[in-house]
Amino acid sequence: MPVFEVSGRKYDVDEDGFLQDPGIWSQDVALDFATTEGVNELTSNHWKVINYLRNYYLQFGIAPMIRKLCKETGFKLNEIYQMFPSGPAKGACKLAGLPKPTGCV
Amino acid sequence: MNKEKLSLADISKREKKPLVHLESQDLMPLPAPFDDPARTPDWRPLSAQVKEKYECFLDDTCAVSVPQPKSREEEEALVAKFLSGLEKLFSRENNWTFLQPLLLTMDYCAKCQTCAEACHVFEGSGRNELYRPTYRSEILRRLYFKYVQRGGLLSAWQHGDIELNWPLVARLIELSYRCNICRRCAQTCPIGADNGLVAHELRKLFSQEMGIAAKELHDSGSMLQLKVGSSTGMNAEAVKDNIAFIDEDISEKTGIEVKTPWDVEGADILLIHNAGEILAWPENPGAFALIFNAAGLSWTMSSEIAGYDSINYGVWYDDAQFARVAIKHAEAARKLKVKKIVLGECGHAHKALTVIADRVLTGDLNIPRESCMPLLRDIVMSGRLKLDPARNNFPVTLHDPCNLVRLMGVVEPQREIVRKICPQFREMEPHGVDNYCCGGGSGFAIMSPHNFSDWRFQVAGRKKVEQVLNAFRECLDPSIPKYLCAPCSNCKGQFRDMLAYYDLWEQHRILYGGLVELIVNAMTDVKPGFIEWEWR
Repeated sequence: MPVFEVSGRKYDVDEDGFLQDPGIWSQDVALDFATTEGVNELTSNHWKVINYLRNYYLQFGIAPMIRKLCKETGFKLNEIYQMFPSGPAKGACKLAGLPKPTGCV
Repeated sequence: MNKEKLSLADISKREKKPLVHLESQDLMPLPAPFDDPARTPDWRPLSAQVKEKYECFLDDTCAVSVPQPKSREEEEALVAKFLSGLEKLFSRENNWTFLQPLLLTMDYCAKCQTCAEACHVFEGSGRNELYRPTYRSEILRRLYFKYVQRGGLLSAWQHGDIELNWPLVARLIELSYRCNICRRCAQTCPIGADNGLVAHELRKLFSQEMGIAAKELHDSGSMLQLKVGSSTGMNAEAVKDNIAFIDEDISEKTGIEVKTPWDVEGADILLIHNAGEILAWPENPGAFALIFNAAGLSWTMSSEIAGYDSINYGVWYDDAQFARVAIKHAEAARKLKVKKIVLGECGHAHKALTVIADRVLTGDLNIPRESCMPLLRDIVMSGRLKLDPARNNFPVTLHDPCNLVRLMGVVEPQREIVRKICPQFREMEPHGVDNYCCGGGSGFAIMSPHNFSDWRFQVAGRKKVEQVLNAFRECLDPSIPKYLCAPCSNCKGQFRDMLAYYDLWEQHRILYGGLVELIVNAMTDVKPGFIEWEWR
């Protein structure tokens, strides 16, 4: 199992760099993973997206539809791409500690 | 280059080194703007960590990630398991699905190579011997005559010898995941040998006997579906929440109130989507709901386990998993006492539930099961919807999902629709039953471990990229938006990733989407602009 190491901390991740155990997530995890996804600073807008993803995941066990994410946070898809250059699924979900999406998505 | 020299004996080589290596200039040439191979994206190499850990000594990629055995004993145990699986593959008790066509394929092959000329992987690779359909089949054929028929020296002379060892098995695992199982080869074979089936049967042996399968198909695919209801991980609560959101969104967008009926007992139709649509392309299930309501159909969705996710990945690698899921689908329909199941825009679900499930569903589980295409055609042609083709006045081409056209012969209904509502429709060549796979078939669209997606866009999808560029040859200018209609979730996933890989949306404004979106986009009762020209 690959290990992601940053500032002396080690995380077990899958081959795409997603956190293996979403249960160990904390705000520090988001800060640590931000570096891998081209996010330099986590602003209140970033946290709005991350917290929405996190809460949705805790309720339903999966990531929300992207369209729903946009509607509920009030950000357009291109604004989310500006915040998270690798996109909502790969970037934002990774920072929020969600597992990689499965199935035909 | 080693491609001319590859022989069948190479598959058993102990050397931990790939049998072939592909360079951009060896692959099939692409039309402009990729006529210079340097303009295609670079292929990422496998990392040293991957090469050290996994069996990846077939070519430049690795699909299944089988760990390298630690000892000779471990290797021998795996080979013994393979042999026992091989026996079972050829026994009536164990292979209740495909024994007869498999035996025919073993017994009759004239080595005429008509199949190779039909194979998009072989052609896309620049005719690399490793991807010749008969290379894989000939290995299985020799193993069959030697170990199942127990032929002696005479048989070895007649059928050719082969050395069975772990390197052969390990490479064969990977090689069974270098075929899209599109079965263009089977269609063209003058004798009826089915080399696509060979790839399928090998995957089945590895999964059912050795517990080896692509994790996207098994662990996070059929296993997850049977546990929570969908391979996307959506349970009943999540799917209902998402559909409620889609209903609201579509109502807002179209100006027509849309409500999806859930668990309606006695409805005529149980509509089952590939649940990936709900998460990734919500406008597709939304458009279905709008059309079905507008046409006045009696229909419902089901919140039973697997009742809201038509996927059946077992059809790509494991008959037992296939049967488990097919039965869940039929049980959802039986519980609601519907007259029939209609499948949404998903190719492999068509193959699984309408064709192969005939082997599994008996008695009151044998509920009529249909493609959505003839139904949509009937709705569009009946005049029940007011349609204005001028709303779809942009170049449109139609991708044929292999399972709809080649396997089932559902060719014309979708064409009648696009001819009626898309004034700038143009065919890809060839099309219909002679179509080429998108390169994502047999599960590849959802598999991207290590650098496998490079292989699926550069080799497996190459022929399709050529076809798409040719279909839009005269209008590649980015000022003209173009629509690649692909009525299948798996194909759409492949197109989304492949169009992005070759930058065809940014550079040439080629968008992909489903069929029902085009219908709703043409409806005059709907606010104009249902199709949003935005990348997703």
